[in-house]
Amino acid sequence: MSATPLLELRGIDKSFGPVQVLRDVAFTAYPGEVTALVGDNGAGKSTLVKCISGIYPTDGGEFHFDGRPVSINSPRDAAALGIEVVYQDLALCDNLDIVQNMFLGREKRSGIVLDEPTMEQMAAETLAGLSVRTVKSLRQHVASLSGGQRQTVAIAKAVLWNSRLVILDEPTAALGVAQTAQVLELVRRLADNGLAVVLISHNMNDVFAVSDRVAALYLGQMVAQVKTTDITHAQVVELITAGRSGNLGLADPGSNGTGAAPADTTPGAAR
Amino acid sequence: MALAMRAGPSQDEIRRQNLGALLRYVHVHGATSRAELTTALGLNRSTIGALTADLANAGLVSEGTPKETGRAGRPSLVVRPESARVYAYAYSVEVDRLRAARVGLGGEVLDRRELDRPRNLVAGEAAPLLAGAVKEMHHSVPPGSICVGAGVAVCGMVRREDGLVRLSPTTGWVDEPIGAALAAELGIDVPITVGNVADVAAYAEHARGVAAGCDNVIYLYGDVGVGAGIIAGGRRLTGHGGYSGEVGHMVVVRDGVRCDCGRRGCWETEIGEHGLLRAAGRCDARGRDALLGVFDAADRGDARAQTAVRQAGDWLGFGVANLVNIFNPEMVIFGGTMRDLYLAAAAQVRSRLNSNGLPACLEHVRLRTPLLGDDAALIGAAELAFERLLADPLDAG
Repeated sequence: MSATPLLELRGIDKSFGPVQVLRDVAFTAYPGEVTALVGDNGAGKSTLVKCISGIYPTDGGEFHFDGRPVSINSPRDAAALGIEVVYQDLALCDNLDIVQNMFLGREKRSGIVLDEPTMEQMAAETLAGLSVRTVKSLRQHVASLSGGQRQTVAIAKAVLWNSRLVILDEPTAALGVAQTAQVLELVRRLADNGLAVVLISHNMNDVFAVSDRVAALYLGQMVAQVKTTDITHAQVVELITAGRSGNLGLADPGSNGTGAAPADTTPGAAR
Repeated sequence: MALAMRAGPSQDEIRRQNLGALLRYVHVHGATSRAELTTALGLNRSTIGALTADLANAGLVSEGTPKETGRAGRPSLVVRPESARVYAYAYSVEVDRLRAARVGLGGEVLDRRELDRPRNLVAGEAAPLLAGAVKEMHHSVPPGSICVGAGVAVCGMVRREDGLVRLSPTTGWVDEPIGAALAAELGIDVPITVGNVADVAAYAEHARGVAAGCDNVIYLYGDVGVGAGIIAGGRRLTGHGGYSGEVGHMVVVRDGVRCDCGRRGCWETEIGEHGLLRAAGRCDARGRDALLGVFDAADRGDARAQTAVRQAGDWLGFGVANLVNIFNPEMVIFGGTMRDLYLAAAAQVRSRLNSNGLPACLEHVRLRTPLLGDDAALIGAAELAFERLLADPLDAG
């Protein structure tokens, strides 16, 4: 959709002690698009997200945001750029209502008291902007919400702060069919409203339902980042499980093997 | 304006056209400042002022001061559609339910009623039920309101010239005059316009939904059958008699399963309600809830339901690829039960579409679900009624 990526990572390396978790990872996210980040357990998805959100420092590589080189050293840096992450556990407080949750730790004040009317109005506007119709009252406690509604509140909380890049970690895990559908529509709407969205998912349906691009990690390497219109279900599964599918993914390390490239051979992230 | 320099149109015609353009703008975009209208319509400030005054006198719009802009200077007045006072009645005749709503100018649903519909109910029997719902709603209409007409969305083929429902295999209707039946039942002299549900839903999503700003759109609506509302080059594709868009009856299997329409192997026999329930081994079940039950079972790991959903998803992608290759749309919207099928089997839909679609046609196609949801049928039906008002705002009342 857009020619310049909002976020562009080049050559990201990250090790924990002797274990190299990310090697030479390139990743781009475009405004107005959903980029699905897929990979097997332990492929490095979560580590990559934590590098983007400033929780882990990287060992090497470049960050570009909006075309400018930036350095992200803490979650505060990421938030200042407009990067928000919605984690699987959602980090909502059951005993607080929707407005209180959305502004938790960043409350609006007027003088020494909290500016409740403004916060309530901002929360209502954010939910309306996302065409959320499932939430009845903004003053109900989060404990009384369904799984899908909680996810909705967590996502709305992330977009409240003029964020530009929202990363969603498995937003539909543990949801039923109807709620999954609602959350997927919400994810799509975020991007259609102009945000760059990164969707981490194991569910191929979710990936194909809403994404514009698919980025596949395999044993710490970015093996492919392709448009969703150019790839099939079977190819994505191959990229996740073998790191390679036809001419996509890792280059064949030689003519001797039919399996995937071992993790310690030279990475050749072919497009 | 170029329009004014042509010899043809008279002052009156130009004024009518400008009134319509202004009213249409606030009808679609909601409250708009005079300054924005000046830019959007390409008319000068005093013309906008005069047109607004005329529309305000007729009770169609109101003017007010905007909320604090925080900027210096006198703020431009905001023109709002009189949503609460100017309304149309909208009806939707669906396979399993009848719906009636009062929709305000600007596309806001003000009031609604919903009734179950037995599947063998004919138009003559449906009309009194809908009329009853309308009479109920009529009690709460504020005094001084203006009713501009009524629109009906029907899941069936509708003759454009008079709104006769020619064939609706899924409801069992053949040549049913629903418009006339409703008019007789209501005993009011407002005009009633009838349209196909997929067509009006496409129109609503195009005007104020997910497809706003898209000029080439296919809206796939599914229930027992499947139909498409097609917008090409910004205009609704109706066909000669108004029957276009019956994509559910594209024959995709030679000598396939018998369809409600009497032919064999229609697309909807694979992706419609019957097809999915048959594949899931639930031949006796019917209705939307039974269908959603299949998706739920598939999600919980029922192997037979999973196979049925995947297979239907594959067929959905198969047909969509054909449509994408023929019409080169920028957006395909999955409405009705097609929304549920798409979201439950997107991997199959996309994979099939990507393998069967021509790369050039696939390049910019976006797959979306409706923003207006099930309300699209009602809002679109009301849109049919508003269309007359917008064509001539001061003379339609």
